[in-house]
Amino acid sequence: MTAPRAPRPPRPSGPPRPSDPRRPPWHVGDALALRYAQGAAPETDAWSLEKHVESCAPCATRVSAAVRAGAAGPVLAEVRSALLTSLGHRTASAPAAPADRATAPRSPLGRGARLWWTVGPALRGSWVVAVLLVVGGAFGLAYGAGVQGARSLLLAVSPALPLAGVAVSYGRHADPLYEITAATPSGGLRLLLTRTAAVLAVCVPLLTAGGALLPPVAGFPGAAAWLLPGLALTLATLALGSFVGCRPAAATLGGGWLLAVTGPLLGRSEAGGSPGAAALTAYFSGPAAQGGWAAAALACAALLALRRRSFDHLEPR
Amino acid sequence: MNPSTAVAVTGLTVRHRRTVALDRLDLSLGPGVHGLLGPNGAGKTSLIRVLATVAAPFSGRVELLGGDATSHRERTGIRRRLGYLPQEFGYYPGFTVREFVAYVAWLKEMPSDRVPAAVERAVRRVGLGDRIDAKMKTLSGGMVRRAGIAQAVVNEPELLLLDEPTAGLDPEQRVDFRSLLRELGTGATVVVSTHLVEDVAAACTEVALIEGGRLAFQGTTGELTALGGVSTEGNDSTTHAVERGYTAALRAHRTSAENAREALR
Repeated sequence: MTAPRAPRPPRPSGPPRPSDPRRPPWHVGDALALRYAQGAAPETDAWSLEKHVESCAPCATRVSAAVRAGAAGPVLAEVRSALLTSLGHRTASAPAAPADRATAPRSPLGRGARLWWTVGPALRGSWVVAVLLVVGGAFGLAYGAGVQGARSLLLAVSPALPLAGVAVSYGRHADPLYEITAATPSGGLRLLLTRTAAVLAVCVPLLTAGGALLPPVAGFPGAAAWLLPGLALTLATLALGSFVGCRPAAATLGGGWLLAVTGPLLGRSEAGGSPGAAALTAYFSGPAAQGGWAAAALACAALLALRRRSFDHLEPR
Repeated sequence: MNPSTAVAVTGLTVRHRRTVALDRLDLSLGPGVHGLLGPNGAGKTSLIRVLATVAAPFSGRVELLGGDATSHRERTGIRRRLGYLPQEFGYYPGFTVREFVAYVAWLKEMPSDRVPAAVERAVRRVGLGDRIDAKMKTLSGGMVRRAGIAQAVVNEPELLLLDEPTAGLDPEQRVDFRSLLRELGTGATVVVSTHLVEDVAAACTEVALIEGGRLAFQGTTGELTALGGVSTEGNDSTTHAVERGYTAALRAHRTSAENAREALR
C-alpha cells in the first residue's frame, strides 16, 4: 500500500536538477509548503519538495493540507468527488482535513488489486523463488562451474516447475481460503484455471528465455522443447487433481517426471560428455515425441472438461 | 414448496468413505435463526457443508432458496445469495480486513460499485470498524473469526450458514454476536451450528437437534425448553432449562432409535 500522494500542479517543464546529495533530515517546512501551494516557491525548491514528498508521508500530508487550504482546494475537492462518484464511491465525500484522507474509503477493487486477486496465492513467493533458483542454478553451472549440459538439465527440470506452482496455489492444502472460495460462484475450476494460467505466465517466459541464454548442447533440442511436455503435465495434473486433489496429483506427476529424467541424467554423466543429453533427447526431440506430448495434452484437456463439475465441491481429503 | 422455505432437504445421505455422516435426513427451514445442535460427530458440519454447496450429497434432494443445489447452473445462482463461515478457515496474511472481505465479495460476483460500501458495512456490523485497514495477521483469534463473519454477510445473503461461529469469541463478543444474529434473522434464513446451548437460548428462534446423522428434534427454542420439564432446583436459568431440554430430547431420540432397532430384530 503506497502512502497517499500529495496532489500536485503540473510539473514545471525543464531539465531535472542534477542529482544533489539530499541530506536525510531535510523536511518541508510550513513556510515552503505555503509558498508551494500559492505557486510562489522558486522552481528548484518546488522540485526538491516534489521529489521529497514522494517518499515522506508526513511532508506529503503537510503539503496536501497547504494546497487544499489554498486557492486550488475547492477545485481539488470537486475533481476528487467527481472521480470517486465515477468509481462508485457514492458515500465518499471530499475530505476537509488531512486526517480524513487516511480513513477515506479506498477502492479495494482497483485494477491492480483485481489482477492480484485473480491470481490469488498462485504466485507464492516461495514458488517464484524456486523457479528463479532453478534458472539461476543452471546459469551458475554453465558459466560458473563450466558444466557442459546445464541447458539440458534446465530443460529436464522445467516441465515439473509449473506443477509445483499449481500445487501451491489451489486446493485444501495450499489455499487458506479454500473452503470459503468453494462456496462462491467464482470458486472451483474457474479459480484453478486462472491460477494455473498465472503460473504458466511466469514459468514459460522465464524458463524458455533462461534455456535460450544458456550455451547450446550439441544435438539437443532448442529451449522451447519443454513447452509441450510442460503443458501436457500441467493439464494431466489438473485432470488427475479432479480425482485425488491438486497437491497429490502434482506430487505424483512431478515426482514421476523427475524420476524419469534423473535416470538418464545420472546414467550417462559418468560416461563423460554432456550428461544424459542423448537419452533426454528422446523425451523432447523430433516430431514423434512432440506430437505425443501434444496428443497427451489434448487428451488431458478433454478429461478435464469431462471432470469439470468435480471442482464444484471440496476436493477429497 | 413454500416460497419462504430457504432450505428443503429430503432423504439427505452423506458418506465419508465408509461412515455415514447423515442418514436420510429430512429438514425444512424458513427465515429466522436456527440453532443446529448435536453432540460432536453428530453430522452438524456435514449438513452445513451440504447446505453451503461445498459438499455433494451421496443421495437425497437439496433445495436451497428455491433452486436445486445438485444442478450446476442453479448452484451458481444459489452461491451468489449464500453466506458461509466454515468451522476452520484461513486468510492471506498480507491482506487487510477490508481486502479480505472485498476479496470474498468479488468471488461472490457482487457488482463492483456496491462492494466498497458493502465491505465497510459488513466490517462495522461485526465490530471491526476500527481495524478495517489492519493486516489480518495482526488480529487476535476472536477478531479473525469476526472478519470471517463479515465475509459471510458481505453480500447480504438470504441463506447464511455459520459453523461454530462463536468459537474463540470472548463472552462480551458472543453477546454482541448474538444480537447481530437476531438482526440478520429478521430477513434471512440463518443456520448456526454450535455446541453452546446458551447461544441457542439467547439468539435462536428455532432449534434442530441432530444425533447420529438423524434429526432428533426440530421445533422452537421454547418447545425444546419445555421438553426438559420444570426444574427442582431453586436457581434455575434459561440456559439450564434449554440444557435440560436438549438432554431430554437426545435421550428420547436414543430410546426410540434403540426401540426401532429392537423391533427390526
